[in-house]
Amino acid sequence: MIPYVLLVPTFAIIVIFIYWPAVYSFKMSFYRISPFGNRMIYTGLRNFGRLFQSSEYIHSIKVTAIYVGFSVLLTVFTAFFIALLLNLKVPGTPVYKALIFIPYAISPAISGTLWTFLLNPVVGHVNYFLSKTFGISVDWLTSKPYALYALILASVWKVVPFDTIFYLAGIQDVPDDLLEAATLDGASSWTKTWRIVFPLLSPITFYLVIMNIISFMFSSFAIIDVMTSGGPGDYTTTMIYRLYLDAFSFQKTGIASAESVILFGIMAVVTFVYFYFGERKVHYQ
Amino acid sequence: MKKLLVILMVTLAILSMAKVKIQFWHAMGGWRIDLLKSMANEFMKLHPDIEVDVQYTGSYHDTLNKLIAAVKAGNPPDVVQIYDIGTQVMIDGGIAVPIQDLIDKDKSFDIGNFLDQVLNYYRVNGKLYSMPFNSSNPILYYNKTLFKKAGLDPNHPPRTFKELLEYAKKLTIKDKDGNIVQAGITWPLHSWFFEQFMAVQNAPLVDNNNGRTGRPTKAVFDNEAGRRFFRLWYELSKNGWMINTKREDWTGARQLFGSQKVAMLISSTSDVALMMKLAKENGFELGTAFLPRPEGAKRGGVAIGGGSLWIIAGHPKEETEAAWEFVKFMASPEQQIKWHEGTGYFPIRKDAVEMLMNQGYYAKYPHHLTALLQLLLSEQTYNTRGAIIGAFPEVRQIVETAVEKMLNGEMTPDDALAWAQAQATKAIQDYNELYAH
Repeated sequence: MIPYVLLVPTFAIIVIFIYWPAVYSFKMSFYRISPFGNRMIYTGLRNFGRLFQSSEYIHSIKVTAIYVGFSVLLTVFTAFFIALLLNLKVPGTPVYKALIFIPYAISPAISGTLWTFLLNPVVGHVNYFLSKTFGISVDWLTSKPYALYALILASVWKVVPFDTIFYLAGIQDVPDDLLEAATLDGASSWTKTWRIVFPLLSPITFYLVIMNIISFMFSSFAIIDVMTSGGPGDYTTTMIYRLYLDAFSFQKTGIASAESVILFGIMAVVTFVYFYFGERKVHYQ
Repeated sequence: MKKLLVILMVTLAILSMAKVKIQFWHAMGGWRIDLLKSMANEFMKLHPDIEVDVQYTGSYHDTLNKLIAAVKAGNPPDVVQIYDIGTQVMIDGGIAVPIQDLIDKDKSFDIGNFLDQVLNYYRVNGKLYSMPFNSSNPILYYNKTLFKKAGLDPNHPPRTFKELLEYAKKLTIKDKDGNIVQAGITWPLHSWFFEQFMAVQNAPLVDNNNGRTGRPTKAVFDNEAGRRFFRLWYELSKNGWMINTKREDWTGARQLFGSQKVAMLISSTSDVALMMKLAKENGFELGTAFLPRPEGAKRGGVAIGGGSLWIIAGHPKEETEAAWEFVKFMASPEQQIKWHEGTGYFPIRKDAVEMLMNQGYYAKYPHHLTALLQLLLSEQTYNTRGAIIGAFPEVRQIVETAVEKMLNGEMTPDDALAWAQAQATKAIQDYNELYAH
């Protein structure tokens, strides 16, 4: 009996703040709702139909795919590379570690602001450096395709430390005798890295890819809002940013609920993949 | 001793029960938070029986969102400041006590003291729903020092689109690599300027007389007036004579002008006080002028922007009465002057303008006079009264997206405008569906 009693507070909070709103947004996705909620019209699946007929929404799906895809790839490889370097145990490694992990501790909104300052076309440091050395200046946040590059750069910078921690721990767990044997067989360090270390870390990579997809799809909101507000045009409007616009800028609660249901579906698939394939295809030691 | 304490506590309790507490939410950040608090404190001194709890609730967007959440939760504030373009949404929500009803009951209050331009904006179907409070319009700020350096007459600001292009070109300096060292002009990438330049040319944004004689059913801004402004914007940017900011980046545009990176700025009159300070700090001479007009276009004017105070229904009678007292106080000439001097939003009343004039204020601060005169000299038509659109926030977003697509070379100015009109019409019809029955 006591275990259940102890669970009640946690469970109550989850139900009130997560399950109930989730169920409610399922319900609302079938309605058109006025801003103050005084009009509710049942429309069945029409909200979904409209979304998939709307070129803006299709566009936001594409943007999300490109943004998430590139960010995840870049993050995973950068993090792996940094972890390899950190594992070399050169003098001062703890200092580098501390410096490299800082971005993870900074809130997304603050890091977005920092990058906005750095990338300011007129007074930013990046353009100052570029124009002094190469004589070029770029409108990082307001022109195509640089806005997307800037966004990916800032998001990757923010998430890399998280991945690095996992890789570093993983690399340190790779058995030394395996590497020694390979060295005796005449394997170069390139071969050892990609043929032994990387495959051995595949469960970590798999886990990180899943976690990164989730974080780029959802937590990227603050960085986008601060840096580009989805612009120029709707060039960097991802699905989560579109949802924010519809819900909180245009007060279209019904449509926004439908969008959140779609995102819920995508997350369900990703989670399923994680649990299903995570157990089978990934090589565990 | 104990008895005394009990008596003291009881009296205190009674006193605090006698006090009517009202909540006031506003969207004025920065130094204006303290300014509004001090105004509320002055009000409480005059009305010891009323306690006003002043809360800054974030941007206009955030404030509206918080209000919506609070209304749904059954716990709304008594008085809330809502932006101009939220007017129709508020009316459709049916959650406010129309100010008109309170005015009709209050014999001591004379609405005739208010500027017609302001009342015309906030009156919908002849009824005043909210109390005008902070009003502004856009003007042209220019750097007289840079004008002189470029060989331009500092007392002859550009008055037409043609002149604006010429001036912007002359004021632009590029280095040998073609990078912009100094640009001619900037304004925040905001749909507000599109709306204003339509009013300047006396052209409507939506049908049914800009939504003034009935709920609008479609956008109508894809016309000669709209094209002129889109083409101007494109021409200025394409040649590097204009620096464009991020979306709705007022601060960015201000900084560019303050640091003398650009020679001209179109921004809100609510920045006048700030601009005078910036000019002094950076050592340049400031000039202000009306918005330029395309040559040969019809004479229009500017519509006001800003916010108004709404009294939310569903509170006990004495709270609504207290809220009415507070709203009246905030719109009183003395407070409007205080607010005007502290921010740059112009006074919304004739008697306040008169008081300022008698004090020699406008002789001393000619830039404030520019702001006021531009509004007073505006032609009064449906087009300069500002549009009333339920889906206004979305229409704004659409216009800004179109502008960005144009500036990026994805669309020509004419195509971008046509696209924006089609999208805006869709948004308007979408909104109307909710109120079709």
